[in-house]
Amino acid sequence: MTGDVLSTPNMAVSIGGGIVLKNPVMTASGTFGYGEEFSSHIDLSRLGGIVVKGLSLRPRAGNRPPRIMETSAGMLNAIGLENVGVEAFIAEKMKFLRTLGTAIVANIFGDTPKEYGSVAERLNDVEGVTALEVNISCPNVKTGGVDLGADPVMAGKVTRIVRKATDLPIIVKLTPNVTDIGVVARSVEEAGADALSLINTLKGMSVDIESRRPHLGNITGGLSGPAVKPVALRMVWEAVRAVSIPVIGIGGIMNHEDALEFLITGASAVQVGTANFINPAATIDIIEGMERWLENRGIADVNQIVGTLDLS
Amino acid sequence: MKEGGQIEMGIVRSNDEVAPDHRILAIELPPSFGDGQPGQFVMLRPGECRDPFLPRPFSIYTMDRDGESVHLYLLYRVVGKGTVLMASLRRGDTVMLLGPLGRGFDPPGEAEKAVLVAGGVGVAPLVCYAERARKTGSGRALEITAYVGARTEGILVGLDRLEALCDVLKVATDDGSRGYNGTVTELFRRDLDKFRPPGSVVKACGPKGMTDALRDIVEREGLYCQVSLEERMACGIGVCLGCAVRVKGDDAEPAYLRVCKDGPVFDMGVIYRDDR
Ligand SMILES: Cc1cc2nc3c(=O)[nH]c(=O)nc-3n(C[C@H](O)[C@H](O)[C@H](O)COP(=O)(O)OP(=O)(O)OC[C@H]3O[C@@H](n4cnc5c(N)ncnc54)[C@H](O)[C@@H]3O)c2cc1C
Ligand SMILES: Cc1cc2nc3c(=O)[nH]c(=O)nc-3n(C[C@H](O)[C@H](O)[C@H](O)COP(=O)(O)O)c2cc1C
Ligand code: FES
Repeated sequence: MTGDVLSTPNMAVSIGGGIVLKNPVMTASGTFGYGEEFSSHIDLSRLGGIVVKGLSLRPRAGNRPPRIMETSAGMLNAIGLENVGVEAFIAEKMKFLRTLGTAIVANIFGDTPKEYGSVAERLNDVEGVTALEVNISCPNVKTGGVDLGADPVMAGKVTRIVRKATDLPIIVKLTPNVTDIGVVARSVEEAGADALSLINTLKGMSVDIESRRPHLGNITGGLSGPAVKPVALRMVWEAVRAVSIPVIGIGGIMNHEDALEFLITGASAVQVGTANFINPAATIDIIEGMERWLENRGIADVNQIVGTLDLS
Repeated sequence: MKEGGQIEMGIVRSNDEVAPDHRILAIELPPSFGDGQPGQFVMLRPGECRDPFLPRPFSIYTMDRDGESVHLYLLYRVVGKGTVLMASLRRGDTVMLLGPLGRGFDPPGEAEKAVLVAGGVGVAPLVCYAERARKTGSGRALEITAYVGARTEGILVGLDRLEALCDVLKVATDDGSRGYNGTVTELFRRDLDKFRPPGSVVKACGPKGMTDALRDIVEREGLYCQVSLEERMACGIGVCLGCAVRVKGDDAEPAYLRVCKDGPVFDMGVIYRDDR
């Protein structure tokens, strides 16, 4: 740590639904397991929040391998939403998570709108869950995946069902695989979302020229990492202008400069995903880097830079 | 030992070619680096490099420590972008390492005979196994037989080490340039009557074709076999679920384990025969 206590900037941010994070840096779903796996690398209590791997009503086996492929400045994944299921999450994973003193966000999905409601209901009274993040955007699952989130009407319907099923704040996670993110964003806001998060992965593909087979068992997969950052930033900008609820920026964030770009563009917080694979301490490096950056410029509060994009 | 390994910066001590496209990278690490078990691996990134984007997994070939540092050796084959870059590392260069990771081979325990079956660069974790076995109690009396296969004589690696560690060393090449002319699994199969359960255990690492052929043999004979598997990896610590390997179970509902966390060493008996 540098500087004296007085000059340490305020890092706390509000992300809607009454949630206040101790800093704007959260982990992105599917890239951080259930948190525990990182406990030997970083002090988890320093995170702004932990978003856990997507949860469904029943456990899910996931897609056939190969499931990942490296690309230029990123990777494709087709995990297929493998997860332990909401019951095992509550029974086995929450015990550890609720001791951490950081926001715990349960990322949920279902095969049908009704199933989203059932998962949300099940998590409603679970001690230690701060909020739900509703994934209407995974590109890998034929049912309930891209079709839901790409259709503004369906996106609104799922949001409404989850809204009815829970008192917890809800963050709706949007897919970038749409023509106009503003339309979906507004529909979800009207349906009662407390915040939006974006982007999930961009649908992509990769081929082995010798075997002429797709590199992924699922044929297509979701692109993440620095390769998607400019797209993510553009979509965050569009979403911020479309709605008045807070927006959480996700996509290719590797360092504090990347994170600051999202905040300046109008995101109230960010999530760090693929970077955790390159450096398990990426989130902490980003928090510290951001603090130093603010400090060096004499900015007392991180909120002072949110949405300060200069278009003059 | 820390569950998810540690991130450390290592310094390259040497990076010598031991055969065409095969090298041994010697890395010096701080003493805090955990003791690796045979079959465990590390995720490696040359320097701060971002291209290739993801770190690459490598089995521990040898590891030892003196007072001030840990010396880690990786035996690797140059096959693509990441390993080409690795081959250009020189003494004094830095690498980022995460490890040791995963579940390694079980120690020999009560076994009287250990059979090592290696294909190509798959010899790396088996050298580590033999070396460790020799250093520990019952392992000193263990009879170790190694079967090592490669395409051709020029790229047979790790033999010098195995010669010193094993009671019997047999070699197979696809082109017959050295030893048996054929596959390493066939060479092993011919010796089968020397190895009977439960006194004999098999430890293996090699390409998919080799492990598939070996599976047929050990299943028929009822030999206990542990195999080190490979899959593409991103995180190396069990969170991305990218390195899935299918395991036996209900045919309608496939089940998967993670090579990085549940393996890379698995009991052969649990692995689903995937003919993709
Ligand atoms: C647990 C584990 C231990 C390993 N130990 C060793 C070792 O001791 N020595 C060694 O030489 N290699 C080892 N490998 C394989 C090594 O990780 C790959 O050869 C390496 O990642 C290739 O990187 P690249 O950028 O050079 O090749 P790329 O350009 O990424 O790929 C070149 C070729 O290698 C294949 N490949 C890529 N990644 C892997 C992978 N993870 N496993 C298998 N094939 C892959 C690709 O499909 C392609 O055909 C190990 C792999 C695993 C999973
Ligand atoms: C391996 C992997 C698994 C993921 N699993 C999920 C998931 O279960 N639910 C979800 O909403 N997003 C999931 N995502 C998407 C990420 O949370 C994130 O939105 C996306 O990767 C973009 O951010 P990044 O570039 O920082 O990784 C996954 C991403 C990756 C790479
Ligand atoms: S490489 Fe991420 S789970 Fe194995």
